[in-house]
Amino acid sequence: MPPTLISIAVGVLVGIALLGAAFDRRSLGVVVIAAGLPDVDALLSLVIPGATNALLHSILIPVIAAGLLYYDTEQREESWLNKRYGWYGVRVAWVAIGSYVVAGIGLDLFSTESVALLYPLSDRYYAIVGRFVLSTQEGIVQTYIQFGDGWLKVASPGTTTTHHVDSWLHPASEDPARRLRLIESGWQAVLVVTAIVAIPAKVLVERGDR
Amino acid sequence: MPTSVVHAAVGFLLAIGLLGKYYDRRALFVVLGIVLFPELDAALGLVMDGAHRTVFHTMVPSLVGGGLLYWDTTRTDSWLRGHWGEYGVRIAWVGLFVHTFAHLGFDWAHLSGINVLWPFVDQFVTLDGEVYISSTEGIVQTFVDISSDPDTGRRQIDAGQGGTTRDIHVSTPVQPSKEPVTGPVDRRFPIAVGGWQLYLIGTGAFALLARTFQTNRYEEDE
Repeated sequence: MPPTLISIAVGVLVGIALLGAAFDRRSLGVVVIAAGLPDVDALLSLVIPGATNALLHSILIPVIAAGLLYYDTEQREESWLNKRYGWYGVRVAWVAIGSYVVAGIGLDLFSTESVALLYPLSDRYYAIVGRFVLSTQEGIVQTYIQFGDGWLKVASPGTTTTHHVDSWLHPASEDPARRLRLIESGWQAVLVVTAIVAIPAKVLVERGDR
Repeated sequence: MPTSVVHAAVGFLLAIGLLGKYYDRRALFVVLGIVLFPELDAALGLVMDGAHRTVFHTMVPSLVGGGLLYWDTTRTDSWLRGHWGEYGVRIAWVGLFVHTFAHLGFDWAHLSGINVLWPFVDQFVTLDGEVYISSTEGIVQTFVDISSDPDTGRRQIDAGQGGTTRDIHVSTPVQPSKEPVTGPVDRRFPIAVGGWQLYLIGTGAFALLARTFQTNRYEEDE
């Protein structure tokens, strides 16, 4: 996976963008935890083989959560969440689900680390990697998704039994040296710095808006 | 550059939250204009060597602009506030933030980097490296490398300095290469290169879409 720190940074940015009037230390904390939560399956992979980037990176988790939230806030006559936490609670819950999908699952899906998106229905890992370029010589070059046999295909390095996602908690090799990666490249560093600076900026904005 | 589409997407992601109650379509268009503006130096490359990533890709306007903006908005008779009110002040600050982080920041970490302190210092700088905690080596970072020369004992700082406007050319659709080439010229307009750029575009689009579904709390309170 791209490091959990990057998921957290994206979670911060998503929270800043979408929390709106519900923005405060507590709500941002919830959204950031939602962004980092999927990476806990690296720890669970010590007990459940092949759980990394699969067990908690399944799209089914946020889909079910969103369904429950929709049922509670829109379908029921008296919403439990709204009664207990009001408008604030509903907003934070929706943004947290969005953060789980975008910052938690999405970041890994769009990298070579890949995600078993449909786990446990399918144990295949998917990775959306490639390029999309308009060229005057080659026309439209698009390699993220391939069209073949009537199916849309994306890159896949294997299934949970054949492909091991490396992590500091569960390294692939027997080498005793472990590495907890925090930042892998320049753009990730920029993203982290941007998220750090955006927090006080948003605090100032909210102070001015009230 | 990470493509202009990526800059715009990250710019929107930042602007949505930071515009706050002044968020509207007009403000978004202004931010879009600010975030794409630096790419115009690609056209200047036709008349000046190495203009792309130099003329508008320097941190100097951000520093000077930030200072000016602070000075103007804190004095009692602010020109900006007098003309456009709080709305204009907010857009100016958000524009500065987005320009610095969504555009310059991401270009800094891409290919030959940006000419950070041009026109005072003509030096391209690239941000590249990694940070990790290793069980054998401790905390390791490779973004800035400080070492002393074994022969002279002088201290060297390597923060990814590249060439100058004379020898660096970042390819653009306007000017694919510095010297004219024979044969058909391939002009490339990248939309996204690599999973992470498509991901950032998707994240910006998600935030814009999600924002349109949200009710505006500020209006409800009034």
